[in-house]
Amino acid sequence: MNKNKYQNKIQNIEPTEVDSPSFSRRNFLTKGSMVLAGAGVFTLGVGGALVSPSAWAASAVGDHASETLLAMARDIYPHDTLEDKYYTQVLLPMGESAATDKDLATLLKEGTSELDRRTNARFGKGYLKVEQETDRVEILREMESSAFFQKIKGALMMGIYNNPELWPRFGFGGSSWEQGGYIDRGFDKNDWI
Amino acid sequence: MANKFDLNDDSLVVIIGSGAGGGTLANELAQKGIRSVVLEAGKRFKMEDIENDEWKMFGKISWLDKRNSEGPARLAKDFPHLPAWIVKGVGGATMHWAGVAMRFQEHEFKMKTTNGTIPGANVLDWPIDLKELAPYYTLAEEKMGVCGTETTGMPFHAKSSHYKVVAEGAKRIGAKCEQANLAINTESRDGRPACQVTGFCMQGCRVGAKWSTMYTEIPKAEATGNCEVRPQSMVLRIEHDKTGKVTGVLYADKDGNQQLQKARVVAVAGNSIESPRMLLNSASNLFPDGLANSSGQVGQNYMTHTTGGVYAEFEKPVHMYKSTVVPGVVKEWQDNDPSRGHYAGYELEILHLGLPFMSAFLNPGVSGWGREVSESLQNYDKMAGFWICGEDMAVESNNITLHGSEKDQYGLPIPVVHKTDHINDTRMRNHAYKTSKELFESVGALKVNNLPAYPASHNMGTNRMSERARDGVVNKWGQSHDVKNLFVSDGSQFTSSGTENPTLTIVALTIRQAEFIAKSMKEKLI
Repeated sequence: MNKNKYQNKIQNIEPTEVDSPSFSRRNFLTKGSMVLAGAGVFTLGVGGALVSPSAWAASAVGDHASETLLAMARDIYPHDTLEDKYYTQVLLPMGESAATDKDLATLLKEGTSELDRRTNARFGKGYLKVEQETDRVEILREMESSAFFQKIKGALMMGIYNNPELWPRFGFGGSSWEQGGYIDRGFDKNDWI
Repeated sequence: MANKFDLNDDSLVVIIGSGAGGGTLANELAQKGIRSVVLEAGKRFKMEDIENDEWKMFGKISWLDKRNSEGPARLAKDFPHLPAWIVKGVGGATMHWAGVAMRFQEHEFKMKTTNGTIPGANVLDWPIDLKELAPYYTLAEEKMGVCGTETTGMPFHAKSSHYKVVAEGAKRIGAKCEQANLAINTESRDGRPACQVTGFCMQGCRVGAKWSTMYTEIPKAEATGNCEVRPQSMVLRIEHDKTGKVTGVLYADKDGNQQLQKARVVAVAGNSIESPRMLLNSASNLFPDGLANSSGQVGQNYMTHTTGGVYAEFEKPVHMYKSTVVPGVVKEWQDNDPSRGHYAGYELEILHLGLPFMSAFLNPGVSGWGREVSESLQNYDKMAGFWICGEDMAVESNNITLHGSEKDQYGLPIPVVHKTDHINDTRMRNHAYKTSKELFESVGALKVNNLPAYPASHNMGTNRMSERARDGVVNKWGQSHDVKNLFVSDGSQFTSSGTENPTLTIVALTIRQAEFIAKSMKEKLI
C-alpha cells in the first residue's frame, strides 16, 4: 500500500528557474490546441474584413507559399461552401507577423517547402498541382505532428469554428443572454421527434 | 466585504479554497458565529465578467498553472499540461459546473462490501453510509436550490429539444431517462432569478440562476462579519508546531509577498490536485512524507469518473445549444450489475457543447482534422449527445505527485497527474459507447461519434476518508487521522467516486463537517 509513498517526496530542493507565464503559454501552444484561445493568442486580426486571396498572397512568405498554405488550410478543415476569405483571414495575420518574426517566417516557408518536397517525391508534382484531396491528405497526415502543421491547424480551428461571423452557417447561436436566452425563443421546439 | 482579520489572530479557521467545499464551509461556520479567513488562489470575478463565450471564459477562469499529465491514457497525449478542467477564482469549480445535483446511491458507499476485492484496484467502503448523509443531502438541496426534488418543491426545467430527442431514444430501447435534478432555479428563489436557458451553464451563469458559491455562500458568509476572503492568495505550505498541530498557513499574496496567517483550525479545499499537493508541499522533519500522510495515501487513488463523449448526427435540427447544458440523465445503467461485464454504474448525461468546443473535443489531439471532422462539424445543429459519467475505480498508482525539478511561478514543484484506466473503466466506457449508439440509432442517427475523455472536471479521492488510519487520510468527518485540527473539505475526501456528479455530495459533507468543527471547537477538542 505504501509503494508510492516515496514517490511523493521527489521534492527537489535545489532552486530552478521559475516558468514565466509567457513561457508556459508557448509550451501549451506547441502541445495542445486547448489552451490556444485561453492564452488569447489567436484573435482574428482582420475582424470580419474581406481579404482576397491575392491580398493574402502579397504577404511576407511569397506567392507560392501563400497559395500552398491556403490550399492546405482548405484540406485541413474542408467546407466546400465556405469562401476562401474565411481561410485567408486566418492566414493573413500570420503572414503579417512573419514579416517581423523570423522564426515564424522560417516555419512557414520551410513547412510549405517540405510539403512540396514530399508531394514531388510521391506524385512528381508540387502540392498545389496534386489533384486528389485524398493524395494531398495522405501527405498532410505524415506531417500532422509537426509544429508547422499544428500551428496552421490550431489557428484554423479558432479562426473557423470560433468565428462568430460563421456561427450562423453552422447553426450555432453564440452569446444569448443579451436576448434573454432561449426561454422564450424556441428551446423546446422540435418538429420531428 | 470589509472584514479584515489579523495575521496573528490564532483563533481563526483558515479555509483554503472557495468552491463547493471551501465556500460552503465558510458560510456554514460564519452562520454559527465562527470566524474564518478564506485563502483563494484565483481572482474575484464580477457577474459582468461572465460571458457566453466558451474560449474567452476558458481563458479567463480556468486553472492554467502548469501541470503535467502522465500515463498511457489518450488524455495525457492530447492534453499533456491540462489533466483537469477546473477553475481558479472565487467560487472555484462552482462557476464552471453544470449544476447536476444527484445523491449517491446506497451501494456506492460500500463498494468493497458489494463487490469484494477487485484485482488491481484499491477499493474501500466509506466510513459513512447513505442513511447518515441523507439529512445533509436534504440541507444541501435546500441551500443550493435543486429543482425536481421534494426538498425544494421547485419544478423541473421545461423539456428542451435536446432532452426530447434523447428521451425518445431511451424510450425506444427501454432505458430509463429522467430530467436532471439541477441546482439551477426554475423559479425566483433565494434572491436569484429563474433560468433563462442561455445554454452556457459551464461558462458561469450570467444571470446567477445556477448555484455558485461565488454569489451565494461567499457573500452570505461575508455579510455576517465572520469571514474574510483573500483572493489571489496562493498557499505555499501549512505550518505546524512540535506537537504536530497545525498553526497557520504560509501564502503568497496578490503582490507576491509571503504572508503567514495563524490559525486554530485549517481546512483544505483546493480540489483533488491542489489539496494533496499542499499537504505534500508541507512535508517537514516531523512529517517527512507530507502532512497528514502516515498512511501514504495522500495524493493516491486519484479518480475522475470514467468518461467519454458520444455525439450523434441526425437528419434534422436538434439545436442542442438551446437548452440547459444537462437537461436530463439516462439512468438505466447506474446500478451495480456485474452481469454487464463491469462493476459499478454509469450515467449518460445529456450535455451539449458549443461549436467552438465541439471543434476542439470531437477528435482532440494532433489528428483531429480532415473531411470527416469538418463534415461532422457542419452538422453541428443536427447533433445530440452525451457525456458519459461512470464510477471510476480507485487505483493507488493513479495519483498526484510533485515534479522532481520543475517549479511553477510561486516556486512550488509542479504537480504530476498520473491517470490511466483500470480494466473495469475501459469495459464500462465501451458498454456506454455501445448503449449510446443503440439509443441514438433508435431515433434515426446517421452517424454516432465517440469522443475520448476531456480534461477532468470531476476530480476525487486523493485524500480519502477511511475507517482506519492506515487506509486513508481523513476520518468520517473529513478530519485528518494524524492532525486533529486539520480538515479536508473538498472532493479529495471521497472514498469512491460514485457515478453521480460530486458537488452535491461535497456540499452535504461540508454542512455535516461544519457542525463537527463547531462542536469540537466548543468542546475545546481542537
